[in-house]
Amino acid sequence: MFDLKKYRKKSPWILHYNAGSCNGCDIEILACLSPKYDLERFGVINTGNPKQSDIFLVTGPVTFRTRERLVELYTQMPEPKVVIAVGSCACTGCVFRDMYNVEVGIDRYIPVDVYVPGCASSPELIIDGVVKGLEILEQKTKEMEKPFKLFKEATTDDGIVNRRHSALKVGEDDAKD
Amino acid sequence: MKKTINIPLGSQHISLLEPVRFKFECENEKIIGVDADVGFVHRGVEKACTTSFKFDAIGYVVARVCGLCAITHSLTYTAAVEKLLGAQITSKAKYLRILLLELDRIHSHMLCLSHTCENAGFEAMFMRIMGDREHIMEIQELITGNRVQFDYISIGGVNRDLAPESVQKIKENLYIVKQKVQGYMDEFTNNWSLSLKFKGIGMLSLDDAYMYNAIGPLARASGLRIDVRNEIDYLPYHEVGYKMQTHTDGDINARNLVRLAELVNSIEMCENILNGLPEGDIFTKIKGKPQGEALMRFEAPRGELMYYIKGNGSAMLERVRIKTPTFSCIPAFSHIFLGGDYADAPAVLASFDPCMSCTAK
Ligand code: SF4
Repeated sequence: MFDLKKYRKKSPWILHYNAGSCNGCDIEILACLSPKYDLERFGVINTGNPKQSDIFLVTGPVTFRTRERLVELYTQMPEPKVVIAVGSCACTGCVFRDMYNVEVGIDRYIPVDVYVPGCASSPELIIDGVVKGLEILEQKTKEMEKPFKLFKEATTDDGIVNRRHSALKVGEDDAKD
Repeated sequence: MKKTINIPLGSQHISLLEPVRFKFECENEKIIGVDADVGFVHRGVEKACTTSFKFDAIGYVVARVCGLCAITHSLTYTAAVEKLLGAQITSKAKYLRILLLELDRIHSHMLCLSHTCENAGFEAMFMRIMGDREHIMEIQELITGNRVQFDYISIGGVNRDLAPESVQKIKENLYIVKQKVQGYMDEFTNNWSLSLKFKGIGMLSLDDAYMYNAIGPLARASGLRIDVRNEIDYLPYHEVGYKMQTHTDGDINARNLVRLAELVNSIEMCENILNGLPEGDIFTKIKGKPQGEALMRFEAPRGELMYYIKGNGSAMLERVRIKTPTFSCIPAFSHIFLGGDYADAPAVLASFDPCMSCTAK
């Protein structure tokens, strides 16, 4: 039947958001989609809709007015998702660090999977970052589909079965083995 | 009962490169009111220039105001400081500055044209122009070492000399782009489906352009003869063959044609510079601290860019004020939208070539 897993890997869709960058990295992302670098050969399409996208490309240090929108867009994207910080200012804040209206990088607000440095990061680097992001996406998909137990084995003390401490947190079982 | 509906465009939208929000008040299909909100990317560059950076570093900081016209920003600032310090730069440095300024204009205009086509629904043209734009990016990388954000201009000259072996390659690439631009001219004037999207849409008459203080290609497409390159004598623009390009229609098509004509003119200027580049140094050492006030204007790809700086004899400046082209054009933008169809809004918006990170700084 319809194998969603396979298609997600073959054709990841991109959502791009500018959180206060200087446009330098944004035009490099556009250049990636153009015929010379051609990110579309990996099946990547630029969408404007967070609900359909798998990869979130963010540029720019987070300004005070874009941060709510950034978190909002992130939460609207379905799992599994990968966040790629493009450019030095998305990674650390770059020259804009310590300006009064700016945060230091996006990882204060949303978890980042791949950091792409450079001011402006070259298209080659961005493509590398997206390909790396695809690996992480696949790994995340696998992790999501792994079955996990909700209960531990019940303990028996003095012949009485005790289930009081048997509830498991998500992922606790994996951590043990 | 209220008859109108409000439609927001932005702050995140597929047709927008940067966060800006327009609120359109529509009656059926017609737009009867526009409200623009541009402050999403405000970072506080002006303040930081007077508190945390010394005057010789600011040239590289203000380049980060906008990635598309980075070179114009750093050049305008540097020229203002040089005026205060009373510095004379060599003529070779001046010609190299014009060369980079024009290359920047070429790639910015090509980006704008491709974006206009994409928003009008012509994806193939977008791909064609973006592909050809890479030739210009290659040249920029060859000259400066970086594709965008080339920190090329420093106080006293430029940072890198033009290598003699790269001149041939640059000329070849410019020649290719020139041929391609002729092809676009044909496409933009004769393509029937593009004319449906572009001709007679987003009109700005000459009187309105004058009244709403439009500048740059937007004004020149309405027939207003305004261009800073024509008015300054700081850079030898007239020696390299500058010609003003205007059109009289004032619609999207006219703006595209003005941009195309400017592309051809800029390529010619670059070729002239490469053919007659004078010998000499590219850098003169300059001593002193800025004292007093200076005002400097240059023509960015989108219109006039103005810097005002005030120094008090120490390494920190007292005030840096940046007036960017898109900021001056916003009244004209809002006026053009009125009375148009909502479906045309993305294409009209792209034809303005707005730059929000300039506007909000
Ligand atoms: S990393 Fe540099 S080029 Fe990229 S958005 Fe930030 S300032 Fe601009």
